Amino acid sequence: MIELSHVSKQFGDDTAVEDITLRVAKGKFCALVGTSGCGKSTTLRMINRLIEHSSGDIILDGQAIEQYDPVKLRRRIGYVIQSTGLFPHWNVARNIGLVPRLLKWPATEITARVEELMGVLGLPVGEFAHKYPHQLSGGQAQRVGVARALAADPDILLMDEPFGALDPITREKLQDELAKLQARLHKTIVFVTHDMDEALKLADHLVVMRDGRIVQQGTPLALLQRPADPFVESLLGGLERGLKQAALTRVKDHMTSLGPTLPAQSRIPADFSLRQALSMMLRDHCDRLTVVDQGDVPIGELSLRRIVKEAQLDKVSQRDA
Amino acid sequence: MTRNSATVSLPNAPSIQWFLPLIWVALLAMCIVGMPLLEGLFRWVEPDARQVVYDRAAFYELLGRHVLVVGVAAVVTIAVGVAAGIAVTRERGRDFLPLVGQLASLGQTFPPVAVLALAVPVLGFGTLPIIVALILYGLLPIVRNTLAGINDVDATIKEAAQAMGMTPWQVLRHVELPLAAPVILAGVRTSVTINIATAALGATVGASNLGDPIIAGIVNGNMAYVLQGALLIALLALSADSAFNVYQQRLRQRLSAS
Repeated sequence: MIELSHVSKQFGDDTAVEDITLRVAKGKFCALVGTSGCGKSTTLRMINRLIEHSSGDIILDGQAIEQYDPVKLRRRIGYVIQSTGLFPHWNVARNIGLVPRLLKWPATEITARVEELMGVLGLPVGEFAHKYPHQLSGGQAQRVGVARALAADPDILLMDEPFGALDPITREKLQDELAKLQARLHKTIVFVTHDMDEALKLADHLVVMRDGRIVQQGTPLALLQRPADPFVESLLGGLERGLKQAALTRVKDHMTSLGPTLPAQSRIPADFSLRQALSMMLRDHCDRLTVVDQGDVPIGELSLRRIVKEAQLDKVSQRDA
Repeated sequence: MTRNSATVSLPNAPSIQWFLPLIWVALLAMCIVGMPLLEGLFRWVEPDARQVVYDRAAFYELLGRHVLVVGVAAVVTIAVGVAAGIAVTRERGRDFLPLVGQLASLGQTFPPVAVLALAVPVLGFGTLPIIVALILYGLLPIVRNTLAGINDVDATIKEAAQAMGMTPWQVLRHVELPLAAPVILAGVRTSVTINIATAALGATVGASNLGDPIIAGIVNGNMAYVLQGALLIALLALSADSAFNVYQQRLRQRLSAS
């Protein structure tokens, strides 16, 4: 668990971060979102003491971070950055095995761990182990970066715009994989990004920052439903907010049981998002969809009128979610 | 940075790479051994001289002492220069960066002849003053390139190294120095090559080396001697320079596109 309370950071006379209070529970995914220069990266880097905070407390697993030896602290925190920071003179396997080697794991264990992680991140060992970073595509290099961060199996992962430099398709693919990985590994993740869609997609807890301060924090849904001010609202996409919210909701949460009426023509799998359902309705000019399970068997129905009504109700009922 | 999996090839043909340096070394060896055979050529340069091939000492002895002087100076220069370069790029040494830079520049702007003149009264005649002069003269390229090499290492790579939990020493040893190595080596190459030529001045203060024939030739008005000394020094410098070049190329290849 990571706890920041009233943390500030001054560089000379400039205040980069002011009075940040933030709690990331174990196994949760926290995204820090904001425009550039809002202090989100500084906040992240104070957690592994790349930057020492000026005041306030940063507590990691019940202990103030000043009490840890910085080198030992960093070896138990994974770190991923946009430019990957891979060592250009080391091959992929050696780059991934860096932290285990620093921790003096036996060589056989390091090799086994590196190969395991390459498997997890979809980098075939035979093809990639001996390649050098300059021989990799951006997406492959960032996979190596993530593997390196996970190598010593840290509980905490700090990620500073890890997918910011990738093309949209690769970025989305890596986001999906990270989400899957997190569902399995339950790391405590602090993730910095300026891409609100990325944050909405991945985070359990969303922190919006501006000028070194936290403007609003909460679950993605809570922020979408009640943005604190016009700044947060514009970050959340202004008029697109409704669709973004729909993207966070599954079809199965809004379907009704199959009624006496005839099933609708268009079919949609139950684990698709509401946003995809709305898009399908617009495309097929209909206001009803048949919801199907994985075996394409109809299990319910989705109606536009109900969705709109429920959205109104949600506004009331989820206020305390 | 190119990210292209097609550029995988690491041209690894050491035999071809070493071809040029070997030619220079072979030429040098041939001239050392076979200088008397060129008597006809030098006779043409100096038809009136009594003697046209320098014979007051064997050429291989002069070469050996020349290499020794330059070698000792190089070892000291590299040790001091790289250490100074490392020291002032550490956080604690940053304040001394301008000072070290200026001292190194001063060492090179100060003419080696003047260093010799000043050093002889203190250190006496012989090999020592020329070694001191070479150290001062050769320091600048090494210090400057060490600074440039280390400062040019991508800051995000250094930060990543630190963030992974490397100690400052580990960052230096495993990241900064290997990545700066080609640039540092370029500095060593310049320093050594220049000093091979400069070492000839040692002959004026009694450090007998390949400068001897040159000085003797100037004193006696015998251009053949001057040519012989100059030829051997040039061949030695070319041998060293091309050998460094090969080594540098290999380092660069290993770090290609980094």
